[in-house]
Amino acid sequence: MMNIHGLTKTLASRSFQSVSVGRNIHVTATSFLKQIVEQKQGKTLTIEAVYQPSPRSSTLIKLPEVEDKECCSLCKLDLPIKHTDVLILSQFLRSDGCMLSRRVTKLCSKQQMRMSNLVSMAQKAGLMSKLNPRNSKKNPKLRYGEKKFNNYWDESLMRPL
Amino acid sequence: MSAYERVKQWNTFARIWHIYDAKWQNPFDSAKVISKHIQGLHKPIYHPLNNCGDHVIVFNSRHIALPGYEWKKRAYFHHTGYPGGASWTLAWQLHEINPTLVMQKAVKWELPRGLSKFGLMARLHIFPDEEIPEELLKNVTSQLRQLRPVPRTLDSYSDKEIEEFPKVMDYPNDYILK
Ligand SMILES: [Zn+2]
Repeated sequence: MMNIHGLTKTLASRSFQSVSVGRNIHVTATSFLKQIVEQKQGKTLTIEAVYQPSPRSSTLIKLPEVEDKECCSLCKLDLPIKHTDVLILSQFLRSDGCMLSRRVTKLCSKQQMRMSNLVSMAQKAGLMSKLNPRNSKKNPKLRYGEKKFNNYWDESLMRPL
Repeated sequence: MSAYERVKQWNTFARIWHIYDAKWQNPFDSAKVISKHIQGLHKPIYHPLNNCGDHVIVFNSRHIALPGYEWKKRAYFHHTGYPGGASWTLAWQLHEINPTLVMQKAVKWELPRGLSKFGLMARLHIFPDEEIPEELLKNVTSQLRQLRPVPRTLDSYSDKEIEEFPKVMDYPNDYILK
C-alpha cells in the first residue's frame, strides 16, 4: 500500500526536494518549497510532501487585536511608511529590484500603488541602489546629470489612502 | 557687579560661532535658521542697529538634498547686460560648478534687503566637504540642529539587521524566492 496523495501534488506544483538517501534524481525543477517525508507504520509506507515554512514566518508581525479585520496586512498595521523606511520597502521587492505582484503581496490596490510609488522614491533618492537590475548604476554618485545629487520626497503630497 | 552677572554680560555680547552639518538638508529650509543666527534674531538684545549677529560655519554643502525634481527644475538667472546676455543655469549645473553656491544664495535671499547683506554674509563660512580650517574650528562653541534626519541606505544595514527586522508581509506557500 502506498499513499501517493502528497506525491502527485508535489509533481503538479513543480517543486520537488529529496531528503531521503538514494533519491538524487529530480524529475522537475527544484525550488525547495516542499520536503518529502517518508513514514513507515507497520506495512504502510506514507510518502508526503510538506510545505516548508517561509523564511519570514519567525519575524512576521502578528497583532491579535486586528487579526479579525478583513483588510490587507498594511491596512491592519496602519503604519505611516515613508520612502526612507528602506527596511520595510525592501520586503516588497525581488532581489533584482522589481516590485512583487499583488498575487504575492496580498495588498489592496491602494496600498500596492502607494508602496510601488514609495519604492520608486527610495530608488530615485539612491537609498536602495544595490536592489537594482544588473546593468544599473549601483553607486548613486556616478549617475548622470542631476540624478547624482541627493534628493528627498514629500509623502504628504501623495494621494491619501 | 557680581562675578555671575559679569560672565552673563560677557556671554550676552560675545560673538558665538555655530556649526551646521548640511548633509541631506534642504538648503532653503536651513537658510531660514542660519540667517536668523547670522543677524542675531535669536537673541533678546536684538536691534537692527545693534551688531549682535553670530558666525555660522556650514560644512558638507556638497551633500545638500533638494526635494523632488528640484535639481533640474530650479533655474538661476543671470544677465550680462549685453543684448542676448541672459542665461539660465539649472541648480544641478550650478552645484557642479561650485558646490557652495546653492547654499550661499539661499542664505543671501533670506537676509533683509539692503547693504547690510554684505556685512552679514561675511559671517557665513561654507565648506563643501568636512575639511574646515583649524583656526575657524577652534572658535566653535555651538552646533545647530539638523532639520531633517539623515536617511540610511539599505547597504548600511547588515544582513542580520535586515533579517531580524519585523516583516509586514509573508510570502504565499507556493512562492519561489527570486
Ligand atoms: Zn488595504
